[in-house]
Amino acid sequence: MRKHIFLLFLVTIAASTLFFACKKSESSGSEPTGGFDKTGMLTNYADNMIIPGYTSLQQQLLAMETAANSFMDNPGTASQQALGIAFKDAYLGFEKASVCQFAPAETVLLNNFLNTFPSDTAAIEASIQSGGYTLTTQSSMDRQSFPALDYLLFSQHAIQDFSNGNNAARKQYVHDVITRMNTLVTAVLSDWQNNYRAKFVTNTKSDVGSPIGYLINQFAYEMDQLKGPRIGWPFGKQSGGIVFADKCEAYYSGISRSLAIANLTSLKNYYTGVNSGKGMSDYVIALGKQQLNTDILNQFDITLGKLNAIPDPLSASFTNNAGAVNDAYKEIQLLLTLLKTDLASATGVRITYQDSDGD
Amino acid sequence: MQKPVSIAPLVTFRVTFGAMMLFSIIRFWLNGWITDLYVKPKLYFPYPGFEWIHPAGSTGMHLVFLLMGISALSVMLGCCYRLSITAFSLLFTYVELIDITNYLNHYYFISIVSFLMIWLPANRGFSIDTFIRPALKRTQVPLWTIGIIRLQLGMVYFFAGLAKLNADWLWDAVPMKIWLPAKSHLPIVGPLMYKSWIAYVFSWFGACYDLFIPFFLINKRTRAVAYFFVLGFHIATAVFFPGIGMFPYVMIVSSLIFFSGKFHERLQYALSFGNTSTNVAGGRVYTYHTRAKPLLYSWLFIYFLLQTLLPLRFLLYPGHLFWHEEGYRFSWRVMLMEKSGNSFFYIKESVTGKTYEVNNSEFLTPLQEKMMSTQPDMILYYAHFLAKEYMHRGIQQPSVFVEDYVALNGQRSRLFIDTTADLAKKSWSWKHYDWVMPYKN
Repeated sequence: MRKHIFLLFLVTIAASTLFFACKKSESSGSEPTGGFDKTGMLTNYADNMIIPGYTSLQQQLLAMETAANSFMDNPGTASQQALGIAFKDAYLGFEKASVCQFAPAETVLLNNFLNTFPSDTAAIEASIQSGGYTLTTQSSMDRQSFPALDYLLFSQHAIQDFSNGNNAARKQYVHDVITRMNTLVTAVLSDWQNNYRAKFVTNTKSDVGSPIGYLINQFAYEMDQLKGPRIGWPFGKQSGGIVFADKCEAYYSGISRSLAIANLTSLKNYYTGVNSGKGMSDYVIALGKQQLNTDILNQFDITLGKLNAIPDPLSASFTNNAGAVNDAYKEIQLLLTLLKTDLASATGVRITYQDSDGD
Repeated sequence: MQKPVSIAPLVTFRVTFGAMMLFSIIRFWLNGWITDLYVKPKLYFPYPGFEWIHPAGSTGMHLVFLLMGISALSVMLGCCYRLSITAFSLLFTYVELIDITNYLNHYYFISIVSFLMIWLPANRGFSIDTFIRPALKRTQVPLWTIGIIRLQLGMVYFFAGLAKLNADWLWDAVPMKIWLPAKSHLPIVGPLMYKSWIAYVFSWFGACYDLFIPFFLINKRTRAVAYFFVLGFHIATAVFFPGIGMFPYVMIVSSLIFFSGKFHERLQYALSFGNTSTNVAGGRVYTYHTRAKPLLYSWLFIYFLLQTLLPLRFLLYPGHLFWHEEGYRFSWRVMLMEKSGNSFFYIKESVTGKTYEVNNSEFLTPLQEKMMSTQPDMILYYAHFLAKEYMHRGIQQPSVFVEDYVALNGQRSRLFIDTTADLAKKSWSWKHYDWVMPYKN
């Protein structure tokens, strides 16, 4: 009897192996080898999206620096408006690159240094006063970069601050903040160009620490950020309805909504690969999940539509147009679930920012 | 069962088990997982009945792992064996009991095997103990001392195989169909990973392997070929699913226990750590104290009865096992499903009508959040924690609601928990949770 079972066992194995071998030779024929070109997708991301994203952010920061200098030299409504355009450009540029917070960007904690909001305005003023500050420590994250500039250059007293005779320390602080931003972005860009790009495009794994794993985890993370710090928290979702308008992103310059839209639009572009046929959406289709892909794309559009329907500035709409904000919030939550659970599950990616054994 | 047989298989098992545990502990430490899993979290999910188990702080936990490493080394060397294996078993089990999040079948396996080893004379050959006190040396042991490890291993395989006999695994080849396309980077076989037939091959082969391998290992005539399959199977799982860590290697090495005393004597001679010069016929047989025997045997009977019943307890629960996970753990359900979810918790204050949404990352690590979101008992524990936490924050009589979406085995996500159920008022129970949404296919 045992012998028979064993024979059966061997036959099963042999049959499977034969099956395996036959199919293998067949697949090298008419069908494309493999269902999806992951390297092609990753190359598209690296060369057409990520590296150009950092390159334009670098240029936008330079333009912003020039505008900031002319504003500080000639403080006034006109120069502030001109600066506002350059500032918004750069900030939008950051939102486009925000999803790439992994590998080179994660090494230098790019997002943490570029966009920890709300900024600690009291600490910023104290730093300017004392002059003894460093912008490289983690404790200084909430007193630099976009959120700090938002306060320093666009608060109600900004023009006045730079019109006073005694403003050298303030100018110096702005200057140091912008220099720090340039340094960080330049470091990340050159790390991508000289080092990480090659690793990125050739690593087609999906486990923790792989490019595909990173991208999907970052989709989920960016959605968490949109739901929490960008909209939900200042809107009072955590605080029983008590609104903290001044805690939203870019409160002083009032471009919160544009930033949120840019962030989500960028996320959608990263999902689709900008209709290159080489995006995550194409991978999802290759996995036979057409309906999921359609639903994700629709949900992106619905959510963007609801965000667009919120009147500017967002900080005021939290109280004046709570219904519109709430509508957008609900859609964000649905999109979050689609990306964090359905997409991750369909691609076999674990949503976890740490490594551990599983079974 | 009482038949005296060579002690050699038991000795090999002791040495290799100790060595692998030592290696696992070092790996765990170097990966920084002691801190990640047992120091960083603010909240731990205890097992029912073990709420009194707490982590020991950063220094304490590192000390625990240091002691565990030393005991593993002592087990390997056979130094103060009874003490070191008991210490290892207790320390390991203590660590595993801290947080349900970290439950893994292979950790459970290590806990129970190390527990069994406490009662076995695995140090009576090739050990520091016998080197110091040669009088302790034995060349033969009762067959059952080796038999129980074989039985335990066999049960792991067999129940793992039984668990695979479900419609998802066999007829739809999920989760393999989901996991394999993520392995397209592998050389040679990579492009095949998108084919659905390969998922069927993996699923069916896996189920057959698990169900039959213990029988082929126990049978002398098929053993060698069967072990070849053990090697093939576990090396393949290690290559395809590196995320399962040490488990394949533990099984490859442990399965050697099925080989005969002669085989192990030769193996030990070849590796020159055994003394085969002792004539087996003239050697001494290890015997248990006459009065200890009935106690030991009834203990073992209860133990294996429990081991048989535990994996079957799911039959007592209604509903889809993978969805509800009632009776899921401690049942050798290894790599059986793809399940993920995300959850939004809401604290409602009935007096004011105010709602507070919870930021899970304030209390949980990403791994804990992921695990909690798909397991009802963890959801309930977390909800009770939140009720207490928000009470401290001044919320009166907080109700806790959750909007939880779970995707199981490649299906679309759907509501997992009844959104109208106030989890603060639901109590922990062995009974079926009616606040988990019924599974709809």
